[in-house]
Amino acid sequence: MGLEKNLPSGILLTSVEKLIGWGRAGSLWPATFGLACCAIEMMSTGAAHYDLSRFGMEVFRASPRQADLMIVAGRVSQKMAPVVRNLYDQMADPKWVISMGVCASSGGMFNNYAIVQGVDHIIPVDMYVPGCPPRPEMLMDGIVKLHDKIRAEQLVERPRKDESMEQFRLRTGWAGPDVAEAPSWPNPEAPAAATRLPVLGQAEEGPQPQEAGGR
Amino acid sequence: MSDNPRMDVPDSAADEQAGLREGAIAVQLSEQLARLRDHLVEAFPSLEVLGFRGELTLIAPAHQAPDVLAFCRDDPAVRCEILADLSCVHWLGGQQQVHAQETTGWPTYTEDAGPGRIEIDYILYSVTHNHRFRVRAYVSDDGGRIGTATGVYASANVMEREAYDFFGVVFEGHPNLRRMHMPDDWEGHPQRKDYPLGGVEVQYKGATVPPPDERKY
Amino acid sequence: MDETQPPQPQPPRPRPADAGAAWEDGLQPGTPAVRPEAPPAVRPERARPAVRPEHEYTVVGGEWQDLPDAAEDDLMVINMGPQHPSTHGVLRMVLTLDGEVVVDNDPVIGYLHTGIEKNTEVRPWTLGVTYVTRMDYLSPLFNELGYCLAVEKLLGITDQVPERASALRVILTELNRISSHLVWLATSGMELGATTVMIYGFREREAILDILEFVTGLRMNHAFIRPGGVAQDVPEDFDGRVRQLLEEMPKRIDEFGDLLSLNPIWLERLVGVGIMTAEECYDYGMTGPVLRSAGVAHDLRKSAPYCGIEQYDFDVVTTDTADAYGRYLLRLAEMRESLRIIRQALDRLPGGPVMVADKKIAWPAQLALGPDGLGNAKEYISKIMGQSMEALIHHFKLVTEGFVVPAGQVYTAVESPRGELGYHVTSNGTNKPYRVHVRDPSFIGIGTLPVLTRGLQIADVIVAVASLDPVMGGVDR
Repeated sequence: MGLEKNLPSGILLTSVEKLIGWGRAGSLWPATFGLACCAIEMMSTGAAHYDLSRFGMEVFRASPRQADLMIVAGRVSQKMAPVVRNLYDQMADPKWVISMGVCASSGGMFNNYAIVQGVDHIIPVDMYVPGCPPRPEMLMDGIVKLHDKIRAEQLVERPRKDESMEQFRLRTGWAGPDVAEAPSWPNPEAPAAATRLPVLGQAEEGPQPQEAGGR
Repeated sequence: MSDNPRMDVPDSAADEQAGLREGAIAVQLSEQLARLRDHLVEAFPSLEVLGFRGELTLIAPAHQAPDVLAFCRDDPAVRCEILADLSCVHWLGGQQQVHAQETTGWPTYTEDAGPGRIEIDYILYSVTHNHRFRVRAYVSDDGGRIGTATGVYASANVMEREAYDFFGVVFEGHPNLRRMHMPDDWEGHPQRKDYPLGGVEVQYKGATVPPPDERKY
Repeated sequence: MDETQPPQPQPPRPRPADAGAAWEDGLQPGTPAVRPEAPPAVRPERARPAVRPEHEYTVVGGEWQDLPDAAEDDLMVINMGPQHPSTHGVLRMVLTLDGEVVVDNDPVIGYLHTGIEKNTEVRPWTLGVTYVTRMDYLSPLFNELGYCLAVEKLLGITDQVPERASALRVILTELNRISSHLVWLATSGMELGATTVMIYGFREREAILDILEFVTGLRMNHAFIRPGGVAQDVPEDFDGRVRQLLEEMPKRIDEFGDLLSLNPIWLERLVGVGIMTAEECYDYGMTGPVLRSAGVAHDLRKSAPYCGIEQYDFDVVTTDTADAYGRYLLRLAEMRESLRIIRQALDRLPGGPVMVADKKIAWPAQLALGPDGLGNAKEYISKIMGQSMEALIHHFKLVTEGFVVPAGQVYTAVESPRGELGYHVTSNGTNKPYRVHVRDPSFIGIGTLPVLTRGLQIADVIVAVASLDPVMGGVDR
């Protein structure tokens, strides 16, 4: 478009999505959720040497209602799991989760009765940062990539909190996630789930329960 | 077997292993600990004595353990102000494999280890005399009960709760015996030997890795 | 005991009348020393009841409605944690309050329970180092040191550990002590609201972590101290870097002192808070800075030395105020003493190997720097692959199964920044530990919370807990 070349200075053209994405990623406040060793590295990342406040993120909000980002830093034990879920539910939308360290991502080296094998069993995770513990630079790399992801997010309709998936589909006309290409884990050879689902509107017993795909 | 002398196990280990028999007293105790041992055995004749790597261990019957602890705290010659540690070890009963080197090629044979028991160790430390020793008691691993040490040492409060949580040993007279580390409604006592590790199989790119307690190495 | 009788709560045993200077006359065990202006203790009928005879010990525990009924007596039960910016980790305290004053404090832990002790039972002895190092995550080298000393004692090779390895262990652990105290200062300051202290503390800590990364390859959870010695020798510039740190660190510690020691807000908040007298410390098993702040000069580095630390000249610092301010001054002074130890150890650092000579135990060993990094030396590889079948078998067994430790049980303790860190290790003669129990000083500290915080206001509770320096990884293991 030729309009951009002829604008006086001080005027910026963008799309609503990009503007909102920039706003959301601009100053993402983390919730204090340090559990174990990774918490110390997270504190180091927020301290002076590896400064997180260059992203506007040095204010770790104690109250989850004021936080946008939950950095699950450390091993999540079976006793702590309901607390994690509770805190995640208390955070206001939009919210994102970084699972910092291998213990939060997959249970880490503690493959036993006491540790939840990955915090994604409890809450949806946007960015996994491996390491034991990850260096502050690695955590910042994860945060920067999360910023990119947030900026690229499309404005979509999401299910409301008290709405079931059926009501959501009726309201928006969403046909379901595109599962034909998604590999089904753990067995990649199994037929994809989509081929087994009834077509919307022609089902006898209603839509199958499925997990909410993408956020 | 080998011509390389550096490959041999040091001799002292073999000697000490020979010395560790039930009731035998190995000769590595220091003079201070030897005097202490005599003093304690004089006061409680039913104590069995063990020594290993310079450490003194006194085995008391379970019903007498709190009295022994009280004596150790109060007697001026012993004066153990601090209960440094209270920990348990679970020895399974029944037929147990005798663990030799696993790759020798000999068939594994089993022997009867007797009834299962839980060993409770109290590590006592004296600041004034600077000596440290262990009082040990055995309880049955099936509903074992022992008197509490909280009347003697307040630090036993949390340690006994942990022992109850992980091994199921009931300390009678404890003011607040409930689970400490595991969630309140957890079933089972995790650090017993008959409780599984609980690991999951890990799948990665088509291959699987068994949990740590099932791997060969 | 008679099984048919219901369990009776045992009366506390009185201390003898001719007790020495360690006990106050007439002090009953389990009761706190009388403090000025303390509110009366909880009335007996309102206290948590002893287990009633008709109840079995179940895994469910007591009922919440048996707690003091808040509506009737103006006692409020509130919950502090486990997610709280000021409770030093995932600690949950159920406080019974009379207004702002704490009447009872019931700590609930286990939110970080990892089952580390059970995990060590399924991996060989050397791999246990990587597990135990993650317990008390602010002082990982102390965890490793305690474990390796216990394993070496079981093996009987304590005097075969080379002197260079012992000296390196001392240097690294004293560096770790300084970095742990710095994190304590930073997080305590942050919990009190002094965020500048947090920034300062983590800045100094980065200098120490740089050196630790230079030597071990990792900033935290190093897995560097192995049974038999240390994993590998230090690089060439180690001496220069540590001396540079020794030059700069005293000035930085002075900065902390200038900022805080006479700061009226710091004094108001820390003086007189969290008092634990020496008798209470003994009764509750507290060692380390808490005991030393009560005037008792007890330090395991002096009374049960390890790693040749007795050859270095340092003082055991004590204060006699037994409050949080005393512990603050004590930890600052301990940092300076650690610098002294490091300087002496560095001056006398002997040459030689860093791992025991016994090839059946030494792992890793015979490393050399090749074109693609550090790995097995070429001579060693040519020997095991080409020359000696036995050496290959031994190498294979050492790497896959690990060494075998004679059956027995030992208890070793090291002086960690929080107190006596003890390892009670049992072996049954195999290549895996049979039972590793860790006596963590933070866990014992949590047991003192009811008596430490009785009579304090909520803000003081935070100060008192911070002055104990609990690390929840060690508490829950």
